[in-house]
Amino acid sequence: MAASTDYTLFLGCMIPLRHPQIELAARKSLAALGVKLKDVEGFTCCPEPWNFKGASLESWLTVALRNLAVGEKNGRDMLVLCNGCYATLTEAAHIASSDGETVKSAVDKLKSLKLSYSGKSNARHVASVLEDIGAEGISGSAKRPLKGLKVAVHHGCHLLRPSEVMGFDDPFEPSVLEGLVEALGAQVIRYEGYTDCCGNATRDTETSLRIGSEKITAMKKAGADCIAVVCPACFEQFDLGQIEMKRRLKVDHRLPAFHYCQLLAIAQGEDPSSLGLDRHRVDVKPALSKIGK
Amino acid sequence: MPKADPGFKKTLSPVEGAGKLSYCYQCSACVAECPAAHNFNDFNPREIVLASLTGVADYLTAKDSVIWQCTTCYKCYERCPQGTHPVEVINALKNIACAAGNGPEEVASSRDNVLANGSLISPSEAIGKRRQELGLGKAPVAPAGELKKILE
Repeated sequence: MAASTDYTLFLGCMIPLRHPQIELAARKSLAALGVKLKDVEGFTCCPEPWNFKGASLESWLTVALRNLAVGEKNGRDMLVLCNGCYATLTEAAHIASSDGETVKSAVDKLKSLKLSYSGKSNARHVASVLEDIGAEGISGSAKRPLKGLKVAVHHGCHLLRPSEVMGFDDPFEPSVLEGLVEALGAQVIRYEGYTDCCGNATRDTETSLRIGSEKITAMKKAGADCIAVVCPACFEQFDLGQIEMKRRLKVDHRLPAFHYCQLLAIAQGEDPSSLGLDRHRVDVKPALSKIGK
Repeated sequence: MPKADPGFKKTLSPVEGAGKLSYCYQCSACVAECPAAHNFNDFNPREIVLASLTGVADYLTAKDSVIWQCTTCYKCYERCPQGTHPVEVINALKNIACAAGNGPEEVASSRDNVLANGSLISPSEAIGKRRQELGLGKAPVAPAGELKKILE
């Protein structure tokens, strides 16, 4: 594989087609850290590890191995900005490392597309790539540190668990992502249930919102000004979800959510107005006004 | 009383270790932190594993089954002292439900979307415009045809 600062960008679906402002922040902030992202053709949905995997494990594995094979053809590891993409591509590679019949059949199907899978290209979560760069490198790029901003970090389940497969951090007491937030000069606020699920994948809408709302309540109780996530599904639950929480649960939280890369870009001195943050459903301005205070 | 079917567990997909459910000794470590169990009285990962083990799982693979409330948080996977992976047992049950035509409509439609567009989300003019405003290039076009070729 090439040097660890060169990656093929695997965008997934939700970021480019629903929250492109996250893509913009990721491209800008990672470039500022010297991470080179190459755009290539040929990727599909990872596919997502809730519904698609629930529909058919075999199809899910086949599509995932096809994406990994496209990554392999391009000769670099794949950088992902989403816990769902990370979980699917990492789990699929883990499954493929054993020789089951299902794996053999999936790998065989790729031949008709002139693709081959041998496990040479892996998914790297942006949080893990940033961990490699280290707090010092990140602080060094933060020209406008986020001093005064109190951040509640939400890891998202699929970054952490199953930990023997994901290998990112402790599944119940993680701290790596919090360290990356502190490297921006912000203050991390620990809250009750900080490794709990955002609730997005639960089928019942009201229950899903209630799980998310309970989490936001705990963040606010601990004094957070905003939420940091590293997944567009968690982002959607905490951003658009708050509009639904207000409508269906009659709770008006107004706690803005950011993808980590957006906070990174702001700390690096990007003008927030150039980052498309006005598209967030929960107003980010009250949180941004805390910076430097 | 439903009739037990010890052979049922063999019909669970062996992918992802769902086949390890025989090791379950019903300790309930999977239940304590389960967000679905906290919110639904009839959702209990320990019971779901027991029902799968003894083959009385028809109610779990029926239409609108409670298994679809699983948030896939994987806390049960981490907490299980026996490597049973309740979340993967649930996933294998979901596969059986879907194969029998009992899966939720939104699951079928999200899969159909991926097969039709190569993407979970259909590209739209509005998002194209927003990308342009942000100075981003066109969204990548996924080769949906290739998926049809390998999944049919």
